[in-house]
Amino acid sequence: MTSLDIVFILVAVVTGGAAVMTVTSRNLVHAALFLGVTLAGIGATFLLLAADFVAMVQVVVYLGAITVLFLFGLMLTRAPIGRETLDSRNRPMAMVVSAALFGILVVLIVRAFGSNQFPATEPISSSVADLGMAIFSTWVFPFEVVSMMLLAALVGAVLLARRQSGDSGTETRVTPIREALDDSTEELDRAPAELGSGGER
Amino acid sequence: MEAGLQALDYAWLVVLLPFVAAVVIAAFGRLMPLKGSEVGIAAMAIAWVTSLVIGFQTFANGPVDALEQTFWTAPVGGLTIEFGQYVDGLTAMMLVLVTTVSLLVQLYSREYMHGEDRFTYFFAMLSLFTFSMLVLVIAPNTLQAIVGWELVGVCSYLLIGYYWREKSNVDAANKAFLVTKFADIGLLVGVIVLSVGVSAHTDNVFSISETIELAMAGELSSLTVIMGCLFIFLGAVGKSGQMPLHVWLPDAMAGPTPVSALIHAATMVTAGVFFVARLYPVFIQELVVMNVIAIVGVITLFFAGFLAIVQDDIKKVLAYSTVSQLGYMMAALGVGGYTAGIFHLFTHGFFKALLFLGSGSLIHAIHSNNMSDMGGMRRYMPWTFVTFLIGSLALAGFPLTAGFFSKDEILVSAQIWADNGLAMGTWVFWLGLAGALVTTFYMARSIFLIFFGEHRGVPARPSARTVADIEAEEASGVLDPQAEGEDLAQAAHDPDTSPTTGLGGHHAPHESGWQILTALVVLAVLSFPVGLAGGFLWDEVGGSTERNFETWTATHAIEEATYPFLPGADEHSEEGGEGEHAEEEGADEGEAAGLPGGPDDVALAAGPATTVLAAESAEGEISNHVLHGAPEFHLDVFVLALIAFLAAVAGAWAIYGRGHRERDPVLHMGGLTTVLVNKYYLDDIGYRGVVVPIRDHLAPATSWSSNVVLDGIVKGVGGGVKRLANVTYHTVDQKIIDGGVNGAAFSAAWWSNKLKHLQSGDVQRYAGAMLAGVIVLVVVFAAAR
Amino acid sequence: MTLIGPLVLAAFLFCVGLYGVMARRNAVLVLISVELMLNAVNINLVAFQNLVWTGDADATGQVFALFVIVVAAAEVGVGLAIVFNMFRNRASINIDDADLMRW
Repeated sequence: MTSLDIVFILVAVVTGGAAVMTVTSRNLVHAALFLGVTLAGIGATFLLLAADFVAMVQVVVYLGAITVLFLFGLMLTRAPIGRETLDSRNRPMAMVVSAALFGILVVLIVRAFGSNQFPATEPISSSVADLGMAIFSTWVFPFEVVSMMLLAALVGAVLLARRQSGDSGTETRVTPIREALDDSTEELDRAPAELGSGGER
Repeated sequence: MEAGLQALDYAWLVVLLPFVAAVVIAAFGRLMPLKGSEVGIAAMAIAWVTSLVIGFQTFANGPVDALEQTFWTAPVGGLTIEFGQYVDGLTAMMLVLVTTVSLLVQLYSREYMHGEDRFTYFFAMLSLFTFSMLVLVIAPNTLQAIVGWELVGVCSYLLIGYYWREKSNVDAANKAFLVTKFADIGLLVGVIVLSVGVSAHTDNVFSISETIELAMAGELSSLTVIMGCLFIFLGAVGKSGQMPLHVWLPDAMAGPTPVSALIHAATMVTAGVFFVARLYPVFIQELVVMNVIAIVGVITLFFAGFLAIVQDDIKKVLAYSTVSQLGYMMAALGVGGYTAGIFHLFTHGFFKALLFLGSGSLIHAIHSNNMSDMGGMRRYMPWTFVTFLIGSLALAGFPLTAGFFSKDEILVSAQIWADNGLAMGTWVFWLGLAGALVTTFYMARSIFLIFFGEHRGVPARPSARTVADIEAEEASGVLDPQAEGEDLAQAAHDPDTSPTTGLGGHHAPHESGWQILTALVVLAVLSFPVGLAGGFLWDEVGGSTERNFETWTATHAIEEATYPFLPGADEHSEEGGEGEHAEEEGADEGEAAGLPGGPDDVALAAGPATTVLAAESAEGEISNHVLHGAPEFHLDVFVLALIAFLAAVAGAWAIYGRGHRERDPVLHMGGLTTVLVNKYYLDDIGYRGVVVPIRDHLAPATSWSSNVVLDGIVKGVGGGVKRLANVTYHTVDQKIIDGGVNGAAFSAAWWSNKLKHLQSGDVQRYAGAMLAGVIVLVVVFAAAR
Repeated sequence: MTLIGPLVLAAFLFCVGLYGVMARRNAVLVLISVELMLNAVNINLVAFQNLVWTGDADATGQVFALFVIVVAAAEVGVGLAIVFNMFRNRASINIDDADLMRW
């Protein structure tokens, strides 16, 4: 057990715990913030695995951008808070399936890689230059494809999220398909009007 | 690649450009300042220059080895369809002819079609039409040739029916399409027969060059060659307007005049002659094939000429003239005159285009197709007169014009054929001579009727359309697509011409504009040198006997081809072209046969000309090689042709030269006129022989047999089956089968009602179920290891 | 340092994410859970890259991790746009409200 192992275990515990909090938190904003902690932990894991550039990208993209994006998403949709509304009735099934899968995965991982050690020496930090060379030589075509995909996703997201033309600035009043959610019906009915008046226009 | 032949690599460009032009015009033509015509003309000009370079290079180096290239192969089942180019002298000649005529026709159409509704469409179609013909011309295999051949048919259909508002034009287009289509079946069958024959020896079954090689090597069976060639010839008969399938050609005059010029000079009717020439080494393998070609050709050239005499419509005169000239070409090919036939094709292309465009110029000015409405035009339209006169002289074979050389060459070829003891040569010679006389007569008649005498304006004959008729038609909104209507429609668009509408003779007709005249003058000027290129005066005007039309268009295959049915063929093939003994035998026989009815020295004079390899073989021998050499000057033929020419002109002058006559003698020859006016009743025979029997006899008979015999059987069987079915229905079907089916349906409904709840619409449950399945699978596989 | 450490962590994160995907009603939370799963994959990629490290310019695993990050970013963008659309049309982003495809 090297010092590296100890550090890793600490990081792993924090990461795992934050992940669990992410999926169980009753507060949406807390969930998003715990996601941030989880992502930071994963970034630390990357550092421990000597992937410093990936770690940096992880921090910049995930922590810096995606977490904020989620927070905005949560705020804009103003979802209600509470276990009943946040968790579906599939929760028991999800628990069983996930636990079973985790158990099986752990068994398989230990059986398959239990004896593997990383190279005895300290992990060599792969330089950014190597990464760049790999991306722009071997993987240049996938790289271009990915960039095209990113562009397409950008356009698609804009197209999907923009307000439909022809509205007079307020949200069209819509009714949920299923009115049967009695406890939240009132709230749902009020929502469009609030949004219309509370909007920037 | 031989030195000096680099341009051949770019023959595909000549083909591609018109296609690109057609697409561009169709797509963007309406947006362009000149409505797309500039694109067509520019593309055609580039193609024309390219063709000229190709033409000159092949001319300077001829005979050249064919350049065969494949650009694209499409495997279809076991076959491979190839598209490529096959460029030799013959191809180069056709490229020059087609692009030249097409370029001038397009320039001409700029003025002629000015103001038409579908001006842009018209130019797109012209380019497409040219493209189609060029695809055929450079085809390296018969399949590509068929593609081009059919495209030509479709384009001609679209252009003949250009004035589609008038039903008669649509009928004409349909007729042209159906008649040529009928003949195309022959082409298809012929190509298949040949390819099956070839397939025994090579995989490339459609290759023209391989077919020719195998045929020359005698590898193809006699039956294959006869059947294949005769069926292909049927296709050529239809496309090239040979009797009796020429009936579509005069009706095709319904199209605009530039289209007529294009069809008759370059892009359509020449296809049949060209294709026969392309496969010529195959055709010459069998005497019966040659004889059929010669017979059809000679019948066509002789009888079609008479039809032209009685026509009043100038375009119909020219149409029958074309049929007749095509007969000359076919007859020449049928008597071994390869060079003569395609030389006539070449020269005819120029002067027939000239004549059609000239007639278009007249129609443009007069607004009538009828010669009886013209008269005295030489005063109003001097340029048109001079050029039309030149074209007519060339067609009639006046000395030093293009037609003179080519027609004399055909006659000389026929003479040589006769010298070789083949009777068909005699027939072609004398009937060809008579046909030349007829040709001269009807052209002289046309010239006198159109350009001399007084301008007649609208004729008094009740059969003719009066101004009132036409105006009434115009008022009723019916656009008459015949030339009169076409010009009225145009006059309506064109303020320049409408006041001078020549109907009624109130206004003097005026000369056409520069675009029309340019085309006319260029073609008129060309009518001389194109003849010299192959004529026997070539060396006397400073050319070289080493380089003439013969060396231009002859391929090596043609040079080496021999007639198996001529004496000496066996020895020849054994000794690889050195069978001198056999050639001497042939010479003896040829001299012994002489020219029936002709002077004795004709045969002797014909001697040297008959052999292609004149330089290599001894003087005075007749080989069994293909007669593709440029014949030398034959005084007797020249004199006979000139006498025929002068006699015909004199006759025409005697009848028409002294002003207009109320009674046109050719229309008052009793039964003969009746026969001619009714076009030998060929259309009627077609109608009564094919349409009526099918409609009135075959169809009712079929109907009766269907109603009585077949229905009886059917009803009897039906009744019995019905009774059996009743029994089956009530017992087997209702009780057993229906019970089973209903039971199955009910059980399916019950189960699906239960199972539908699995489809909850809850994606998370789906995900969970999927994951559970994955877990099970992982466990199973892990346990299995 | 052992290999199984990162691998087990990855497996754990993956299963937690899976749980979130299946158990959460809120569509944004589902997306968040999906991010967890994607990150678990990235850990695996980087870990195995480290295992087979040869010292040359061989960074395939890390390159793939970067690609996955890019794809995940795109996925979040499109996913959130879809969620907004859904919210606009139905005033609800509950997954189990979107059951038009049920029987």
